[in-house]
Formats: sequence, C-alpha cells, structure tokens
Amino acid sequence: MLSAPDTWAIDMPPLHAELNMPYTLTPGRATGTFLAEIGTRRIVGSRFASGIVIAPAQDFSPIDGESEYEFIEAPATGVLTGFTTVDGVTIGLIRLDGCDNDFAHRILGDEEPTLDARVEAVWADGVDTSILAIEGFRIAADAPVGEVKPFGDTAAPVEVVKYKLDLQYEHAYGPYYGRMFDEIRTNRRIMGVRLPDSDSALLPPREADDISHKRTGTWKTCLDTGTIRACSIINLEFLGQTRPPPYVYAEIVLDGASTKMIHMIDIDDIESAKQRIKPGTRVRAVWREGERVGSLRDIERFEVIDE
Amino acid sequence: MANLNKGRHVGIVGVGQTHHSRRRTDVSQAGLVREAVDRALADAKLTMDDIDTVVIATGPVLFAAVNQPEKWVADAIGAQLKPIVRVTSGGGAGFAGGLAGYYQVAGGFADRTLVVAYDKLSEGALQYSISTLYDPFWGREFAVGIMGFSAAYWRARMDVLGHTEEAAARVAVKNRRNAIANPYAHVKKEVTLDEVLESKPLCWPIKLLDVPPISDGAAAIVLAAEHVAHKSCDRPAWIHGIAYCCEADNAAERSLLLSEPLALAAKHVYRAAGITNPRRQFDVVEVQEPYTCFELNYYESLGLCPPGGAAELIASGATELNGDIPVNPSGGCLGANPIGACGLIRLIEGATQVMGKSENTQIKDAKLALVQSGGGWANLRGCAVLGA
Repeated sequence: MLSAPDTWAIDMPPLHAELNMPYTLTPGRATGTFLAEIGTRRIVGSRFASGIVIAPAQDFSPIDGESEYEFIEAPATGVLTGFTTVDGVTIGLIRLDGCDNDFAHRILGDEEPTLDARVEAVWADGVDTSILAIEGFRIAADAPVGEVKPFGDTAAPVEVVKYKLDLQYEHAYGPYYGRMFDEIRTNRRIMGVRLPDSDSALLPPREADDISHKRTGTWKTCLDTGTIRACSIINLEFLGQTRPPPYVYAEIVLDGASTKMIHMIDIDDIESAKQRIKPGTRVRAVWREGERVGSLRDIERFEVIDE
Repeated sequence: MANLNKGRHVGIVGVGQTHHSRRRTDVSQAGLVREAVDRALADAKLTMDDIDTVVIATGPVLFAAVNQPEKWVADAIGAQLKPIVRVTSGGGAGFAGGLAGYYQVAGGFADRTLVVAYDKLSEGALQYSISTLYDPFWGREFAVGIMGFSAAYWRARMDVLGHTEEAAARVAVKNRRNAIANPYAHVKKEVTLDEVLESKPLCWPIKLLDVPPISDGAAAIVLAAEHVAHKSCDRPAWIHGIAYCCEADNAAERSLLLSEPLALAAKHVYRAAGITNPRRQFDVVEVQEPYTCFELNYYESLGLCPPGGAAELIASGATELNGDIPVNPSGGCLGANPIGACGLIRLIEGATQVMGKSENTQIKDAKLALVQSGGGWANLRGCAVLGA
C-alpha cells in the first residue's frame, strides 16, 4: 500500500537543544601559581633553563617543550605586538618587558593603538584567581621599561578552576525526521519507511538501508505497541537526567518496525520490575496530554501490556 | 577489509603511563600527557628529536572542555612543528590512536611514531558528556551514558547466552584482585563474589562493583619500523595484526548480543597473525572492560570460547593469572579507567607481557598476546595480536 504523506517536513522549525556542562579544570603548577598570585597584583612568569622567559607562567616552554623552570615576577609593562578592533573593542597581543612570548588581552582607553606602542596593565578591583584581575592594558607611551625579577616564595597554586559550557544548537530535522516528528506531533502516529524488498519499517526513517545501502521504500505506520528487546533498571542519579530514578530504560521494537527505539517505563520498585519487565515483554506507548512538540517526549512513557 | 599482511613490520619499542588516580589536581591535562610521554621516550631510549610523527588520542571534547587539545598537548610535549594528527573514537580512542600510528609506520611514512592517549575525567560531567553521542532527536533525552544501554543488552544476553550476574561478578573479583599488583592502578581492593552481587544496583543488572572507577590518566607508546627498532630495545612487541571495526547498531534485525565488529576484527587479525586456535595459542589477553559484563562478551566474540560459553570459562578459572589463558593480569579498567587512554593502556599491558617486562604479574614465557579495545555496547571495537 502506498501511503501518501498528509503532513510535510517543511513545517518543522529546527530542534533547539542545549547542553549545560559544568567543569572543574586543573590549571597545573605554573598557571595555578600565576592565578594564586595575580590577586596581589604580581604577574608570575616562568624562566626556563635555556633562558626563555614566558609570562603568564607556563609549565612547558611553548618554544620547544622545555620543562625545567623557575618562577619570576614579570613587569606590568610591555609592548603591543598586534591588535584587532571590532565594534570599538580592541584585543591586543602583549609582550611584557623582558619576556619572550605574546599573550592576548584587552586594550583599554581612547588612545589609538599602534604596533610597538608601550602598554601598561590596568588592574581590576576585587578580582583574583583570574587573568581578569588585569582589567586590560592601556597605551602608555611614557611607561618605563620594566625588568624581570626573581620571585621569592610563591603562594600554593590554585588547583581547581570552575568553568562551564552552555552550548546551544539548532538541529535541522531533514525530510525524513521532519515527516516522522510532524506525524507524531499532529497525528500521534509513528511512521517509518519500508526496508528495500520488505514490509518491515526502518525507524527512525532514513533514505537508505544501513547494510545494503539500497534506497528505502514507502512510508509505513508502525503501531504504538511493541516488544522489549533489551532493558535495564536505572537506579542512579546523574546530571542531565530527565526523570527521577528508579525507572526502566528500554529498547523497544514497535510492531511493524525492525529497529529499536529508546524509551522509559515507570516502575514501583526494582525487585518487582526485574520480574515483570524483561526482553520479550509487550509494551504500549502512553501519549502525553496537552500540547505536543514533535519529539519523543510527546510519548510520556511506555507501560507493560497485561496479557 | 584491506590485506593486513601488507606493509612494513611495526614494533612497540617503548611504553609509559601515569600513575592513574581519581583526580590529579597537581597537573593540567597537558602536564598529565607530558608525564606519560617522558616515560615512553625514556623507555625507548629516545628524545623527541628522534620522533617523526605524533598521534594524540583523547575522548570527546566535552569530557574536559578543551577544543583541539592537540595544540595544547603538542606545546607541552615539545612536538612543535612535527606532523601531528588527533584521533578521537569514544572508548576505543587510545586503541584507534595506536592503529593510526601503526598505519604511518607500516606504510613507510614514518620510522618512529609517538602515540599518546589521555583523558582527565575528573574535570567534567562524564555520563552527561557520553549521552551526547546519542542522536539528539532519537534517544538522547533518555540516554544514561552508555551504562543504561550496556546493562540492557547484558540483561538480554542473560536469557540467550547465560551471562549471569554471578559470571560477571567473577570478572570483578578476578580483575580487582589482579589490579592490586599493578603499580599504575588506583583501585586496589579485593572484593568477594557476594560483595559484588550485593553491591548497589546502578543500572541493574550492572551494580556498583561491576563498574570501573573514573580516572585521570595518560599513556604513550613509541612505534618503530624494523630497521630502527633495535636502537630502542632488544625485544620489541611486534604487531602481527591490528584492526578496528564499526557496529551497525541502528540497522534492521540486529540482536547486538555478540559483538559483530569485534568478531570481524578478530577474524581479520587472526588471519594476518596465523591464529587458528586463540584459546591455545595466546599466552595472555588484555581486554577493555568498561563493565564486567563486557569481558564475558569478549571471550565469545574473540573466540576464546563458543557463544554461550563465557560463564563456564570464567568459572573454570582458566582466565585467572594461573589459568591457561589469563585475561587482564593488569586488572583491566577495574583498576584504572581514564577512558581515552584505556585502549593504549591495554596495548601497553599486552606489549610489556611479551617483552618480558610487565610491571604487573608477568605471565611466564608469554610470547603472544591478544589485546582488545572499544567503546560502549554497540560502538567501534577492535583487537590486535602482539608477539615477541
């Protein structure tokens, strides 16, 4: 039977997805020491055995990976070795006096930056353990040329820096996923496409069969009942989890399909779930009430069919 | 698949790894890598100047929030201006790095290649990061890292292949005991069968003591062509075959009970290495077992026993240190689990056994080692044969 589409993928705006990832980064000894001292308005650098001086401090020379070094205090003055200005904000490359590397920071003030201009650090108030304890560098033609000095006892390095990534994505559905999710949203109908030379459906639908790489066939409505192929009982909490444990993670083959779909089954307790929910158990979708969005969350959960 | 008997002979001539731990707050990610590289180069009696090319392998960027980390790592190991590629491939990243390095030397593009692999898992949210390997439309919102998925197919294998909770618990007892002698492992505590079986279910049937630690760690090897290998050591671990294949887990009618990609890789590697009876021919085996149930599956996919024979094999004691086919004398992932490095660590543990210089329990007269690596339940998986 040929099932002509009555909904169209073009209606689906991209899927908005967010990842909010927390981190605890370790800067290592040199950068950790730089961060520990920057609040005291002293710039820690490393002087390697070969004489190369790098500031802010690094554990390994960016020139050749050399790892023997001692801490030095770098001056808060230097020269501008490069810059770029976008929307009135200037980011410059700064080479501190007596040092062998350039590092990026903000260039502050109204004065027009020029290559090789003298610059001087502008300290921020109330900021420590961050490169932003230096608010930026200002053009200072008359700044005296500073010197690298030995650093006495340094503070213990900062061991952990909190960080986060908040990532936003707009995933395009494409014609196959678009049609499938539009059907789910509009008609509570789960549709796949037929495998080549078969009445069984690939779910999610796609253009080609994974193994033979032949073009798939016509659209087919799968039922919202199916059989568990594999399942486990989730009893741990983790970041990003969408429901409280315990619950069952199930890979379900819907009736009419030949591939799995992942969903959840609510349970009362672990022991009874072990007995009641296993490979081969028959289940049905419980659709979410209210507005549907065109995602697998339009199915609230699956439940065991008591036979 | 390509003919694995082509190309130059390649040996592992130097190895190094960090003392793995739950959290290293004294070194950055790059500093961690440096430790392993220094040890591998010293072991191979070489300096970075002797290295032609470098392969850097890590897990996903989301594990530790540093994009293009090979730039940072290259600076830290003194590999500026060398030809460098980064390889990332889920749980098998370190092994895939080894494979990439092997191709460079076997193909004649390099005489000596340094392969380094690492992950510093204490820095990010592990299960959350792993869940992003799922299709954002189709399953990601329900993913439980790879643990939920792996446990589900273990449950299915119980019914069909008899991989019972007790059989997997024996893997936990064996590997945790073996890890005690491994100077680089950080979980060194003997457990009993009952303790494993009674430990808290996390994703049942996977329980707390079936699960490896989360680790910070790095590993490095030096691969060398035959005409320069002798400058580093008298007894390299020669790579007789190495392959890494992809699962087709979303294809129709896949049971996912046996590991098809691993069985395929084994078929090709065994042909290249002349292995016809793996159980009898190998002296030692190292497998990457993210959870204990994986080791049972690998026994079968690697042909150490027939499908359905894994529970009997572990119960027989044959895979213990004093058995006829010891598996994971290092303790495997249950001793330390810096994911991106694990595949390379397994290669190191297999190599040092046949080189006769294992720092764990040395298997007497080990001449031929089988090494397996790969990611979560349905993923990329591979194996290698190493010989003295």
